[in-house]
Amino acid sequence: MTEATAAAAPLLKLHRVTKRFGGVTALDNVDFELRRGEIHALLGENGAGKSTLINVLGGIHAPDAGTIRIDARPAAVRGVADADRYGIRIIHQELSLAPNLSVAENIYLGREPGRLGLLNRRAIFARAKQLVASLGLDEIRDVRAPVRDLSVAHQQLVEIARALSCRARILVLDEPTSSLSEAETEALFATLRRLRSQGVGIIYISHRLEEIIRLADRITVLRDGRSIGTQPARCVDQHQLVRWMVGREIGDHFLRPPCNPGKTALEVRRLSNARVRDVSFSLRYGEILGIAGLVGAGRSELARALFGIDRIDAGEIRVDGKPVRITRPRHALDAGIVLVPEDRKLEGLVMSHSVSFNTALPWVADWIRACVPNYRRRREIVRRAISNFAVKLADPQQTVDSLSGGNQQKVLVGRWMEHRPKILILDEPTRGVDVGAREEMFSIISSLVSSGVAVLLISSDLSEVINVSHRIAVYRRGRILCIAPAESISPEAIMEQLTGAGENENC
Amino acid sequence: MKTAKQMVPLLLAIVALQVLFRFGVPYVWLDGFHWWPGIRNFWLPENQIDIVQQVSVNAILAFGMTLAILIGGIDLSVGALLALVGTTTVYLLGIGGQTQNPLWLAIAVLAGLAVAAAFGAFNGLCAAKTRMPPFIITLATMLIARGCALRYNQGRPMHIGDHETLFLGLGNGRLFGVVPIPVLVMLGLFLLTAVLLHRTRFGQYVYAMGGNRQAARFTGVPMVPVEILVYTICSLLTGIAGMIHTAQLYSAEPASGVGFELDAIAAAVVGGTSFTGGRGTMIGTLIGAVIIGVLNKGLNQAGVHYSYQYIVKGIVILIAVYLDVRRRR
Repeated sequence: MTEATAAAAPLLKLHRVTKRFGGVTALDNVDFELRRGEIHALLGENGAGKSTLINVLGGIHAPDAGTIRIDARPAAVRGVADADRYGIRIIHQELSLAPNLSVAENIYLGREPGRLGLLNRRAIFARAKQLVASLGLDEIRDVRAPVRDLSVAHQQLVEIARALSCRARILVLDEPTSSLSEAETEALFATLRRLRSQGVGIIYISHRLEEIIRLADRITVLRDGRSIGTQPARCVDQHQLVRWMVGREIGDHFLRPPCNPGKTALEVRRLSNARVRDVSFSLRYGEILGIAGLVGAGRSELARALFGIDRIDAGEIRVDGKPVRITRPRHALDAGIVLVPEDRKLEGLVMSHSVSFNTALPWVADWIRACVPNYRRRREIVRRAISNFAVKLADPQQTVDSLSGGNQQKVLVGRWMEHRPKILILDEPTRGVDVGAREEMFSIISSLVSSGVAVLLISSDLSEVINVSHRIAVYRRGRILCIAPAESISPEAIMEQLTGAGENENC
Repeated sequence: MKTAKQMVPLLLAIVALQVLFRFGVPYVWLDGFHWWPGIRNFWLPENQIDIVQQVSVNAILAFGMTLAILIGGIDLSVGALLALVGTTTVYLLGIGGQTQNPLWLAIAVLAGLAVAAAFGAFNGLCAAKTRMPPFIITLATMLIARGCALRYNQGRPMHIGDHETLFLGLGNGRLFGVVPIPVLVMLGLFLLTAVLLHRTRFGQYVYAMGGNRQAARFTGVPMVPVEILVYTICSLLTGIAGMIHTAQLYSAEPASGVGFELDAIAAAVVGGTSFTGGRGTMIGTLIGAVIIGVLNKGLNQAGVHYSYQYIVKGIVILIAVYLDVRRRR
């Protein structure tokens, strides 16, 4: 580790910052330092704490402990307005521009020059033009053009211009290149280098290691909410970084159920649609196939296609050797496929309704026949789901949003077990649940698998996928790169594949 | 049980209104304190029967509106559709000749209901299959239905011949000379829709869809059929209400029913139906319709100018919904 020996105090210094969400420690005594005129890359797996760190900087989350210093003075970033005042600007992955307003209007949105509430368009355009020129963002030629006509890359530049229009000193970019072409990426890098020379401190987050090594001055790796260390970029190579990102003693507290796979349950051949490209795999009864991939790789889209939410353009799905046509969720359910979606609140549960309602909903055909509800049967369905999955609640009539994340997840999985599905697709089943609930979830999954259910497990947590699954499919940009037995594949090898570090290598 | 508890404040509101209109209310005006004495014959049986009779059309519309609001939608076309069904039916009755002809009556009524069902199915299909918001879809079909209604008889009212005793009886008849037929129809439809909503799979799907559309989809709820069915039922109820209303007027008026959709929405909302969808009951809507009915009748009999009536109704809706929202938070 090279210690900062610069005479000037660092622009930004985080000292032992800790942030907990319920039982989950998202940031654990993290130290971080950003100098003036530096591009500092922040690296880590999904869930390593990068987003939390940004949100602490941006005033969205208040840290539970630790100090933030800006120019060596303690800074209290308690809200977005504070972050603004300190000149911290964050550019999120999803751009936050108003598509129908012009470039100039977007740059000065909320701070429009004018008098008595009247817009002074001419002043806005003039100022924007000047700003764009001074930043050297030559790509933005017309500040009057509506933002929706711009490419994503140029929209990003508008965001950067907006950030710098209010004297941003610390610029945070979260995965800025994920939707950019190579040429656009180069142009962005040129801009960032120019900003660096103007003294702006830049925190750069990306999964693309090659990119980071080329662009960054220093690299900090986060893992499990802890800072693993900071290194100058020129002293490291990609393989080293991968080791740091993954290199934990793989915990053995997840238990992988014994592997005695039965017949083939699900067979997918050359499945394709807008987001899924030519995916083939097979899944046996009593087996867990893990899909390892980064956020945004299109794994959820695979699940959605299999469940009849998204349209399938080509390919074949076979259940028990028989081809099935799935164009809506009902077809998938009838074929014995169940999907537990990624977003509990949005896609999973009717949050404002009771646990009973949600649990009994998939099985209305069982307890309502010809306008005669059988409430006893309904109660039993609900009771079974709650007791089999040890959902902690006071009363089945309480609303779902009053439960903890872990218990919500148990309701979501448990309600499908009234009739055991053949194939269970779990999309991020442990997202946002604490450690205890996570282990419970896996013991549930493993007992289901022992009883013969075939499980397709999608998870961004590499160690989770590797520990629980029997086989692993490495998934990147809508494709399965390779499928291998979990014992024979190392987390490093997977991470290299996922980040593109091991391009052209086979696993 | 939970539902019963939620109905208590609504029932109390009815009682309060009844007492207020019967015994009066003190008020302050520029020249000091006054006592408005109330309506002496407000509690006479005939007056009360009159209230429920006048409630029935709005209540029937409100049952359908409740379904639409429950799935997170709305149906603005009911008022215009009510006029279109009335004119269509009466037009066909007129073709039937100068004597009562049961066959023609059946044809006319079925044709009226078929028109209603067609509009409803179209509304539902658009809402389910396109991404157009129901507000806009039904705003458009409202205009279309109104236009179609005005095509009949150059937009002038069409009188119903006195020989159509069966049809007129639908709006003006009384069982045993006491209970108005419209009230019986309304109660029958209340039971029907209540069973539909609270005791069928369809009802569960309606609540799931309104509570969280995405989640309902991921649970395998058949979204398209449910949505089409909801709007079709809403329109069919409108059709029945349209015939009752027409019979009550003794003529089909192409320009009638203006603003009825708003009264139906008001009844549903006062009855505790949540505008974000997924919450509400049929009994709540029924009580909501009665509250609005008592209010209408009382204000009328008290001789309040109709301009003030609008103002009072607006304030009542605001208060009812505000209390409901606050209670739920």
